[in-house]
Amino acid sequence: MIFPGEDIFADAPRPTPLFAAVASASEANLWTSINGWTAARVYSSVSEEYETAKNSAALADLGPLTRYAVRGADSADFLGRLTTAPAAGLHVGESARGLMLNEQGFVIDLAEVSRLSEDLFVITTPTAHGRRIKLAARGMNVDADDISGQVAALGVFGPQASGVLAAAGLKSVNETMAASGVLRGVETAARPIQFGALPGVELIFPKDEALTIWERIMRRGVGAPIGLDAMEVLRLESGAPRPGVDFIPADRVSKAGGNNKGRLPEELGLAHLAPLDHGWFNGRRGLRERTGKPERRLISLSIDDEVSMPGAAVFQNGAPVGRITSCAWSPARKRVVAFADIAASSFGKDYEISVPAPKEGRVAARVLETAESALAKAYSGEKGYSAGAATDFRR
Amino acid sequence: MNKPADMPEDEEGATVAGRIEGGIDAIVIGDGVDGLAAATYLGKAGLHTILVGAGKEPGGRIAVREIAPGVEGVDGEHLVGLLDPEVIAELDLYRHGLEYAARRLDTTYFFDAYDALRFDGDLSQAANIALDDDEERDALEAFMAELLELSAFLRPAFRPAVYASGDTQKMLGKTLAGASSETASLIRRYLIASAGDVLSARFADGPLKTLLYSEVAFRSASAPNESLSFMPFLRRLSGEAAGLQGAVAYPAGGAIAVVTALRRAAQGAKVDVRASAPVKSILIEGDRVAGVMLEDGGQLRAPIVVAATDASSAFLKMIGPANIDIELQRVLTTQRPEIATARLHFVLKGVAQDETTRANMKRRLFYAPPVEDVTAAFLDARAGRVPEKLIVEAVFPGALDDKLLLDRRQLMSVMAHPVPFDATPDDARREAIKNAALASIEMFATGLSERVETVDLRLPGDEAAAVGANAGAYAAKPDILRQWAIAAATAASGGINGFYFCGPEAQIGSGMSCSAARSAARAALRAYRKGHV
Repeated sequence: MIFPGEDIFADAPRPTPLFAAVASASEANLWTSINGWTAARVYSSVSEEYETAKNSAALADLGPLTRYAVRGADSADFLGRLTTAPAAGLHVGESARGLMLNEQGFVIDLAEVSRLSEDLFVITTPTAHGRRIKLAARGMNVDADDISGQVAALGVFGPQASGVLAAAGLKSVNETMAASGVLRGVETAARPIQFGALPGVELIFPKDEALTIWERIMRRGVGAPIGLDAMEVLRLESGAPRPGVDFIPADRVSKAGGNNKGRLPEELGLAHLAPLDHGWFNGRRGLRERTGKPERRLISLSIDDEVSMPGAAVFQNGAPVGRITSCAWSPARKRVVAFADIAASSFGKDYEISVPAPKEGRVAARVLETAESALAKAYSGEKGYSAGAATDFRR
Repeated sequence: MNKPADMPEDEEGATVAGRIEGGIDAIVIGDGVDGLAAATYLGKAGLHTILVGAGKEPGGRIAVREIAPGVEGVDGEHLVGLLDPEVIAELDLYRHGLEYAARRLDTTYFFDAYDALRFDGDLSQAANIALDDDEERDALEAFMAELLELSAFLRPAFRPAVYASGDTQKMLGKTLAGASSETASLIRRYLIASAGDVLSARFADGPLKTLLYSEVAFRSASAPNESLSFMPFLRRLSGEAAGLQGAVAYPAGGAIAVVTALRRAAQGAKVDVRASAPVKSILIEGDRVAGVMLEDGGQLRAPIVVAATDASSAFLKMIGPANIDIELQRVLTTQRPEIATARLHFVLKGVAQDETTRANMKRRLFYAPPVEDVTAAFLDARAGRVPEKLIVEAVFPGALDDKLLLDRRQLMSVMAHPVPFDATPDDARREAIKNAALASIEMFATGLSERVETVDLRLPGDEAAAVGANAGAYAAKPDILRQWAIAAATAASGGINGFYFCGPEAQIGSGMSCSAARSAARAALRAYRKGHV
C-alpha cells in the first residue's frame, strides 16, 4: 500500500487506533498528517528503519489508509466496476492490486482488494472515496462500510515478516493467502498486501486490541517500526508512484487550466494494473480510446548526485522536458532515486537534472529499472520479461 | 418485414418467448417520436431496423385518450415549437400527412394588473403588437430581434451531435469562435444571467416585462430570478429562429399528428414496428452492444441499438450499473427533480356565444401572473406546495381545428407551471393542482369554473407510468449547463460501441424536437458505413 501525499496544512490530526502503541516506540517524535490521521515520519532514524525493512521486518501503522469492508452477492461485480483489480477472479484468501479510474480512463487512486470469504472483501485505498463508493453501490446488492478508524492495521514488510507473524502467534498467516480467525482471543484478519511491488502482510484487528497485538510482537524483539520517510525510500526504489505527490488524482485535477487532464495508467507506468483484455471496469472504454497515446510519462530515475529536490528540472539533449516529482537518497544504490514527470515524446534513457546552489549546474540521470517497471515491461511484452507474471496479480 | 420466414410470431408481432432473432442491423427501443424518427432514419438508409415499444400503440407519452365520454384529448404536448425542420424535411413528414391547423399561433397574454395584450403571431412578431407606449414596443421589437439572431446562432449548441464529445466548454468555445465579439459577449452574459436581470435591464415594470418573465419561466425548473435561467428561453426561440417551420404551431388533429406522420414515415422506410414488446435488458458483450433481451424472454441481436427511452431506464435498468461508468450514474442520479408542468384537459359545457371569446379561442392564451407571484410559485413548488397562481398556456383544439369540434361542449387543453414534482402524487395533491390551475384560468376567463364538466390532470408520474418510464425524465428541464452536461453524458452513450441514446435527457429544451433522434441515427449510420459496429 502506498500512502498519499501529506496534508500539509492539516492541524490536529486524529490518532490512529495504533497511535498509542506506535507513539511509545517513537524516539524522534516527528509526526505528520495523512488523510487527517496521525502518521509517524521517523521513529528512530531513516537509515535504521530502512535497514530493518531490507534485512529484518518493518512494522508500519497503516491506519491512515482508507479501508472498506464490502459485503453482498454483487461484491465482486461491484469491486470489478470500482477498480481494475480482478475481484471476480479472486479465490478466498487472494488479494490483487488495481487502480480506480474515472470514465475517461484517468487514474483516481490505487487500490488493493482482498477476498476474505465468498461475499466479503476488503478494499484499501490511499485516500477516501466514500461518495464514489456509495454511488457505485446504487442498484447493486452490496454494502460497503468504511471501517477506517474502527480497526487497527499493521503492515509487516521485509524478509523476516513471517518470523514476526509467528512470534506474534499468528502462525497460520502467510504472505500469499488472506486468513481470518480468533487468535488468542483476538479476532484478526491477515491479508497479503504490496508496498508498491514489494510483498508484505497486513494484520487487521479490532482497535480495542491494538495494544495487545503490538505488545505481543514487540516483546519478541523481532521487527521494528518504520516511518514514512524510510518507506519513501523503499517506495522510490520499488518504483511505486504516490498519489498527490507524483501525480494529481484525476478527481482532484483542476479543470481551470484546460490542459490538466490527469494521468493514464500507461503514463504512470501502471498499464499492467488496468489490462484492457480482462473484465469491464469503470473507465475502460475511455481508456481504450486513449491507450497508446500517452502525453506524459512518469519515470524512475537514478541521479548521479547526493542531493536533489522535487521540482528540479529534467533536461534531455539540453532541452527541458519535465520535472522531478519526488526523490530520496537510496543507500542501496548510492544515488538519488527519483520519479520524474516528463513529456512522453522525450521518453528515453538518459537525462540531466538541474542542481541548485552551491554548485549550480546539471548532473546525469538514467532511467532506473524497478520492480514496478519490470512488471510494466512484462505486460507490454518487452523482450526478456514474462507477460504472465505481469498480468496476474493474484497473490 | 424482413424477418426470416420461419420466425414464428405471436398475435402482437413480437418474438415468441425464448427465441433468438438475428439478421437485424439495428434495434430502436422506445416508440415515442424520437424512437420513430431514429428508426425511420435507419430504415431509410437501408438498415433492417426493428422498433420495439412497451405500449400498445406507438407514440410514447404522446397518446390519444378518452378524457370524458365522447371526448378525446392528446396526452403529452399540445403545441409544437421545437420540431426540428431538418427532420421534417429529411423524413418527408408533410408527404406522410403532417399538417398544421395553425402556424405561428396568435397569442393573447392576460395579466392581473394590465389589459390583455394581443400578438398577431407569436412573441417574435413584436412589430404587430398594439401598445400605447411606442418606446416599449420598439424595445420589445429590438429585444426579440436580438434574441432571434442569438438563437439562430446558437442552434448548433442545442443539438446533441455537437456536444457528444462531453466537453461543454469546448463546445461553447467552438460555437462562439465564429461569433463577432459583440455576439459572443452577449451570449456569455445571457448564459449565466438570470432572466430577471436581463429583463430588468431592458424593460420597465409593466405588461411586457411581466409576460416575458412568465414566458421564460414556463416549463423551466429554474425560477427567473436565478442565474442561468435565461438561456433556455433562447432554446425555445430557436424553433422560431429556424423560420416558419419551427414556429409555435398547432398540428391538424393535435400533437398526435406528428406521431402519425412519423409512424407512416417509419412504415415507408420498412421499419418493423413491434408494439407491446417491452425490453428487459440491453445485451453488452465486451465493450459492444449485442442486442436486446425482451421481457418475454426473446432476444433480438443486432450491432446497433438506439435507446429512445428515458436515461434511467436505458442506462441503469436495461444496461445496468455494473456496465456503465460511475460518472454517468452520478450525472443521472444526483439531482432530484423538483419542478414539473401539469397537463390538463377541461371539458366545458356549452359553446361560446360572443364573438370576442370565439376569436380568442383561436389563439394561444397565456396567463402571466405578476413577477413576484411567479418567484413565489417556484419557491412553493420547490418546497412541495402547490402554488396559488400558475403560469397557464391554453388552447382550444376544437377552435383551431374544425375536425376536433365537439357537439355542445368544448375541450380546453392546458399546461400549467410550476407545480411540485412528485413521481406518485396523491389525490390531495392532484386536487390542489386542479384547483390552482382553475383559479389561474379564472383570472382571464371569469366564470369558466361553472362550465367545467370534467377536469383531467396528467402529471409526469402518469405519463411515465403509461410508457413504463422514469417520471424524472418528464420533469421540468434544469438549468442550461446541467442540461448540456446530462445531454453530453447520455449522448456519449457510456462509450459502448454500437449503442446510441436519444431519450428526453439527450434533448435540450422541452417539447417534441427529434433533434436527438436525428443525431443518434446519423452517428449510428456513420459508424455502420465505416464498419465500426
